[in-house]
Amino acid sequence: MAKTKERPSEALPEGATWEVELKRIGFVRRILTARHWYGADWWFVTISTVAVVVFIIIALFPGLFAPYSPDALVGPSFLAPGASVDLPVLIVPQSSTVNKLQDLAVPESADRPTVAVEQGLPTAGALNEESQKIDEVIKNQPGGLRLRPIIDRYASLEETLQAVVDGKDKAAVVQTTEFNKVKAQFPTLREAAPVSGTAATAGGFLMGTNDIGQDVFSRLLWGTRIALIIGFSSSIISLLLGVPLGLLAGFAGGTFDRLLSLLMDSLYAFPGLILAIAITAVLGPSMFNIIVAISVLYIPTYYRIVRGQTLSVKEEVYIEAARSIGARQLEILRRYIFPNVIPSVAIIFSVNVADAILTGAGLSFLGLGLPPTLADWGIDVARGQRFIQTAWWMITFPGLAIMLVVLAFTLMGEGLMEIFNPKLRER
Amino acid sequence: MSPIAIIALIIGIPSLLLLAYVFVRGSTGLRRYILTRIVLTLPMIFILATMVFFILRILPGDPVSSALGPKGTPEMIQSIRTQLGLNDPLIVQYGRFLWSMVTLRFGNSLVGGHRPIVDEMSERFPATLELIVPASILALLVGVYGGALAAAKRKRALDFSLRIYSVVIYSLPIFWFGLVLQLFFGVRLRWLPISGRIDAVIGTSLKTITNIYSLDALLTGNWPAFFSVLQHLILPTLTLGLILSGVFVRMTRINVIETMQADYIAAARARGIRERVLIYGHALKNAMIPVITLIGLQVAILLAGAVLTETVFSWPGMGSYLVERISARDYTAVQSVITVFAMLVALISLAVDVIYSLVDPRVRY
Amino acid sequence: MTEDILYSIRNLTVEYRTRAGSVQAVDNVSLDIRRGEILGLVGESGCGKSTLGKALMRLHTGPARITNGELWFDGRDLMTLSDREMPDVRGAEIGMVFQDPMTSLNPVQKILDHLTETIHTHEPETSAAAARTRAEELVERLGIRRERLNEYPHQMSGGMRQRVMISLALALRAKLVIADEPTTSLDVIVEAKFLDLLRELQKEFGLTILLITHNIGVVAEVADRVAVMYAARMVEVGDVRDVFADPKHPYTQGLLRSVPNIKLDGGELYKMDGAPPSLLHPPKGCRFHPRCPFAMGICSVEEPSLDAVENDHLASCWLYRDVAVKQEARNG
Repeated sequence: MAKTKERPSEALPEGATWEVELKRIGFVRRILTARHWYGADWWFVTISTVAVVVFIIIALFPGLFAPYSPDALVGPSFLAPGASVDLPVLIVPQSSTVNKLQDLAVPESADRPTVAVEQGLPTAGALNEESQKIDEVIKNQPGGLRLRPIIDRYASLEETLQAVVDGKDKAAVVQTTEFNKVKAQFPTLREAAPVSGTAATAGGFLMGTNDIGQDVFSRLLWGTRIALIIGFSSSIISLLLGVPLGLLAGFAGGTFDRLLSLLMDSLYAFPGLILAIAITAVLGPSMFNIIVAISVLYIPTYYRIVRGQTLSVKEEVYIEAARSIGARQLEILRRYIFPNVIPSVAIIFSVNVADAILTGAGLSFLGLGLPPTLADWGIDVARGQRFIQTAWWMITFPGLAIMLVVLAFTLMGEGLMEIFNPKLRER
Repeated sequence: MSPIAIIALIIGIPSLLLLAYVFVRGSTGLRRYILTRIVLTLPMIFILATMVFFILRILPGDPVSSALGPKGTPEMIQSIRTQLGLNDPLIVQYGRFLWSMVTLRFGNSLVGGHRPIVDEMSERFPATLELIVPASILALLVGVYGGALAAAKRKRALDFSLRIYSVVIYSLPIFWFGLVLQLFFGVRLRWLPISGRIDAVIGTSLKTITNIYSLDALLTGNWPAFFSVLQHLILPTLTLGLILSGVFVRMTRINVIETMQADYIAAARARGIRERVLIYGHALKNAMIPVITLIGLQVAILLAGAVLTETVFSWPGMGSYLVERISARDYTAVQSVITVFAMLVALISLAVDVIYSLVDPRVRY
Repeated sequence: MTEDILYSIRNLTVEYRTRAGSVQAVDNVSLDIRRGEILGLVGESGCGKSTLGKALMRLHTGPARITNGELWFDGRDLMTLSDREMPDVRGAEIGMVFQDPMTSLNPVQKILDHLTETIHTHEPETSAAAARTRAEELVERLGIRRERLNEYPHQMSGGMRQRVMISLALALRAKLVIADEPTTSLDVIVEAKFLDLLRELQKEFGLTILLITHNIGVVAEVADRVAVMYAARMVEVGDVRDVFADPKHPYTQGLLRSVPNIKLDGGELYKMDGAPPSLLHPPKGCRFHPRCPFAMGICSVEEPSLDAVENDHLASCWLYRDVAVKQEARNG
């Protein structure tokens, strides 16, 4: 059952001497000239490396990029991406000097200003509430100004606005969207500041808000940090365990190697996510435990590659030569085997980070491991699933983020693999 | 007869017939190969199960106290531990665990009606089967054809697109992909249902025999139920199948390209055989031999994907059972499900190896 | 020209684009193959002889391509054929036997299918039964029992597989068979039998054979004429007896002297100095001059052309040009 892997024979004619010359090309030049040799793959690596760097920067300083805190309730719930917030807004005549609610304040003795609102709408409540808030602040300040507007109620939107045009009322309070509908009919009126809320949130949210009014975009940026922490730390732990075990097994051989390989192969064949589910179930939920669970899964990935490479390097003549001149085992390991194994490990690491992020997202999607309020992509997607009928953005954006980060790490690894070690592709 | 027994017969009888055929017609070498492979499957199941057992035991953390949460008094924890046999020596627990695997008596579940876990699983398992079989077929069709196509158009736009496809598919979180399909086909277009196995109303009319609903509907001639099942199957199958196809495209492409470098392809080309025939007739056929083995290794992706797909589509299979039981802290059930998954992994890889031996004449003769 | 020429190669250049730069694996080579002869093409590995063999059927894919030259086969230039027309020539008019019979047969295809597929590719109207009969007759002529047609390649021995390869080349009565190192992977006894068979078939079918090999002994045994390649260039062409008795080019001289002799005279084998040059940066002038014991000033400056030294014996070496020609070359 010879399962021979034919290496490309088209590449070079028989006994080519220029292969040797290729090896003499230095590392830096190799990377630069690689662009011509590899075309698309070189660009994949370059673009994805830039993307990876960007993601790492975001993960390090999410606060610099995120407009809000991931946990702050900054807007109304279920606001669609880009939709402006429907705030009650102050409407005044074009000529009026009033720009915000506080401008309506008058001295204690003067006539209280009248403000028009439409009957039966929450605008009156908002006006009252905000006025009282402002009044509380300004009544103790020097100048003796008070803000206690008299509310005039009208039957329709048109009547409300007409009252301001006619000068019966100093201003009106109307929902922005309502005002926008009839704006053309009232050219002498203009929109002043919103009565409540801030101008910033009035502009809406890039990716909308979730069920409790948190900013999806800010949560997404903060989620980068958790994804990368999980991805990197579990990959590093796997690497720190898998590489020495692989070196040892490949180098020592014998029963130790056979037993360890049997175990590692079984672990490798088993569906990783299911095992991770089991492990987090036993360990209990926490970020650390998720990392432990994922790192157990990926030990075999490093083990197999490193063991295989160690075996083939060991067979090579120069190791024989080194041994025959009496080099110590450790010396051989350090001087000959380790340097040969490092490039493949680096490549595997990149792909492994991607895998770990995916598995981590899967675990938190299932609600295992992380506290359910944390700004994590998997958790946010799971949260969005409950509102799939109404809020598509709650699912779409965190999922896209997972995909992009995983894609960047995968492409970087794959491209590097193609360039430095085509054989690794069949993991 | 329980559904699980019927399924065992449905899968078992054709497999046994196939094996019998192989034994009668095959060469001594083939017979020996398949026998060895069958004999080797048992230790593989044993190792996987042992691994599951020890990972669950060796890790720090106590399932009982984490199940009870802060309410659990030490006395309560102790009494449940004794009840579950967790206070026995490890070796005794291990022995009991292995015995439960042989007899398939996993005990009763801790929650709900305290039904035997085997009964619960025999309702769930057919659902998983109904999902992973069509998904694997879809993945194979897309993967093998796409991979061959990419190899045929190597370094051209189509090849490039297919490579992008496989990398992007590989990077997609499967649960998210399922949700996006739901959003588009279920919520936006309202074409397809987004959860469950069958329409609730029609479901009441379906008489279950195997618990594989599509099969039951066919057997009983219940067409409305059959179409309802198909409708419900489309999105989960697309989710799992397409995610899996990414890896297959990639593997087929690489192997076909590599096979195209083989001497016998050059020799066939020198006999005037056209490129199309070389790729689809010769190279693809040969490339399938390593691809089959590689596909066998993707069982892990298939089953892990099934867990997430089932959760997303409220598909009452083994995967969602596992997730439910973890939330319910039903430790016995969790261990049993994972053990069954281990057995499934071993059996699927056995099946793949037998198929491999039938495809490759170098093994067959 | 009195001889009937089947294949006339004119100024053929095959280029490989490698990661380190492009390389001419066959550089401006001209050669005539005469109808009904066995022409041996010899040279060290890496000299471009296999590349040349493949180029004769335009078999190159990937990084290799024919950048220049004409391939006049039986009256037409194969370079003018389109990629769709070329497969009609391959197998039907020119057959090829590859170096390694172990890897040159499709492992999942029965021997019979190899043959019938080839027949059907070129003669689609042939019935399955007729194709089968033809295949059976052919392999029996080559000494393979017809029952074995139902076997897979891995069930056959190396010698038998190589005979299958020949039967594939002969299935459509190809006029020219290119045999690329056909005996390299066979042991000596099988090799001798195989060479006898090749001779027989050549007589029986009136075949023309281009025998590519690094083994001088094989050429001496079966070839009528011999062509010697060095570093992508043709250095000497002539009748086997002429070339072996009186090699003109210093490289051929060295090559012949370094062949082990069965006579146990205990004399040490001749070893040529140096190694073949890298084709990435070939030496200027005659490519052999850095290793040549007779190198002159001109050798490193100007490349000698392949010209007749004696009747029907060509060599490309300055030793056989008179001074006037050398001067002219230097000034011109």
